[in-house]
Amino acid sequence: MTLVSHQAPRRDLAMLWHQIRYEQLSFWRNPQSAFFTFVFPVVIITIFGALFRGASGSSYFYGLSALQYYVPTIAAISVLGACYSQLAIVLSTRRQNGILKRVRATPLPAGTYFLGLLAHCIMVSAVDVALIVGIGAAFGTPLPTHWPAIALALVLGAASFCALGVAVASLIRNSEAAPAVVQLVLFPLVFISGSYMPIHSDMLNRVSGALPVRPFNLALMGPFAQHTGFDWKNLGVLLAWGAAGTLIAIRRFRWDPRPE
Amino acid sequence: MRTQLTAAADMTAPVAVPAGSPGPSAVAVTGLRKSYGALQAVRGVSFTVERGEIFALLGPNGAGKTTTLEILEGFRSRDAGVVEVLGLDPGDRSHGRALRARIGLVLQDIAVEPYLTVRETIARNAGYYPAPRDVGEVIGLAGLAGLERQKVRNLSGGQKRRLDLALGLVGNPELLFLDEPTTGFDPNARQDAWQLVRSLRDEGTTILLTTHYMEEAQELADRVAVISGGQIVAAGTPATIGGRDTARTRIRFAQPAGYRAGDLPAVAVAGDGLVTLETAEPTQTLHQLTGWALARGTVLDQLTVDRPSLEDIYLRLTDYDGHEHTTERNAR
Repeated sequence: MTLVSHQAPRRDLAMLWHQIRYEQLSFWRNPQSAFFTFVFPVVIITIFGALFRGASGSSYFYGLSALQYYVPTIAAISVLGACYSQLAIVLSTRRQNGILKRVRATPLPAGTYFLGLLAHCIMVSAVDVALIVGIGAAFGTPLPTHWPAIALALVLGAASFCALGVAVASLIRNSEAAPAVVQLVLFPLVFISGSYMPIHSDMLNRVSGALPVRPFNLALMGPFAQHTGFDWKNLGVLLAWGAAGTLIAIRRFRWDPRPE
Repeated sequence: MRTQLTAAADMTAPVAVPAGSPGPSAVAVTGLRKSYGALQAVRGVSFTVERGEIFALLGPNGAGKTTTLEILEGFRSRDAGVVEVLGLDPGDRSHGRALRARIGLVLQDIAVEPYLTVRETIARNAGYYPAPRDVGEVIGLAGLAGLERQKVRNLSGGQKRRLDLALGLVGNPELLFLDEPTTGFDPNARQDAWQLVRSLRDEGTTILLTTHYMEEAQELADRVAVISGGQIVAAGTPATIGGRDTARTRIRFAQPAGYRAGDLPAVAVAGDGLVTLETAEPTQTLHQLTGWALARGTVLDQLTVDRPSLEDIYLRLTDYDGHEHTTERNAR
């Protein structure tokens, strides 16, 4: 018995790593998911880079150049895509196909399954952010300096948007509706949060400041471009949204395509 | 072949537990009930599956087979009744993981991730179990040799089904649930799957399967139960279920020209050109009939002698909308 209890945590950890590896494999093998997760933000930042190439010195947003503004917001969009959109769509599709039910039939603990997905999404997000920072640098944007604050904002943001993605997957019954629902929520949210253009309306900023995307943008923008460290207030808002998503996911998530 | 015959012989004995069976039953269900709103899907089902046997649950769509199976598998809750699977209650989530490590499932619909290869898919699931079978061995058992490096999305329907079967086996389960396992198989693949199921049973795996195919139940099952309208209407071995072994023999032949059914030396019913009669003494009745025909210089064209097939019994048992009585009257 002692042997088992000694080995159990290590076995669970090995199982988590096992799960992450196969999530990675499934992801990279699927040309569609890889394309949308990487190509879209890369194209956007490249367009912005080309648009604002000549204006690197001028102030676009409170002393920041245009690309200093857009590298963090587009990085945030890439994390939204890799975590929220990807997870909501993948999970509702897997449920509809009966794949989740099969997962539930194995001794793999639900916690390990979701931790595996989370770790996978954080890894993909990190690759995404590195690509965008790299393209930004190629267009002459200075590299960020406060890496620990960026790492924390990235992990917390990825985790919160993963939780929200699982929550949305829990609330949609039909996988065919998933992409539409995901975009319907995301598109206006991203717009009012200033991801594609700075917003100078105080009222709008107060509203979007309480929603999850703008706090994530700001928590990244500080350490990316403004040489500030941890943005605790916005990280707190992000955490609250993550907790809300987790709660919905725990209460409403279903493995079975035809639940009772 | 010898072991199978012995096992089958054991099963016909009135004792429910096969000789040498260790411990309690693999599955024990008593008074199981489950409703969906006003619909009573399962209405007091009781049965046991002994360790090391192949048990088949037969029944039409909507009879309650899948609901029963899903309660045993831990996917659905029950309204009433006692259920034990390998000594554990599948409705109790606290030992769900321990139970899932010991059972294997092959569900009705095909569901496998499209972008992994066959080997990767099996290796991934093997990693979930404490003592899995060797991945290469499972590939061989499921008849997937040569397809290891194929992407799942490129497999045919039957191949995907075999991969599903492989995923049910890979954890080396004590108890394997097979929900209509050979649907969509070609005849060769079906024979191979049957052989695999038999060899698993011979290794000691208990198998609980549902099927629509009477031939499958006849070939595989040590015992069968017929479920209809949410209740078990008959249980036994494929050879004895529904009184099949003691059923009267049916003799049929074309009505001899110039004679009526009443002219025959035994009570017979005529219809659509054929005369049908049932007898508990086929040797004697046949002798009387053939003697009668020879004495009159006539013949019994299209003569057949048969006993009710498993399918006849099944159709009679599951025909619960009133047909049953008319059929029986006609036959008498």
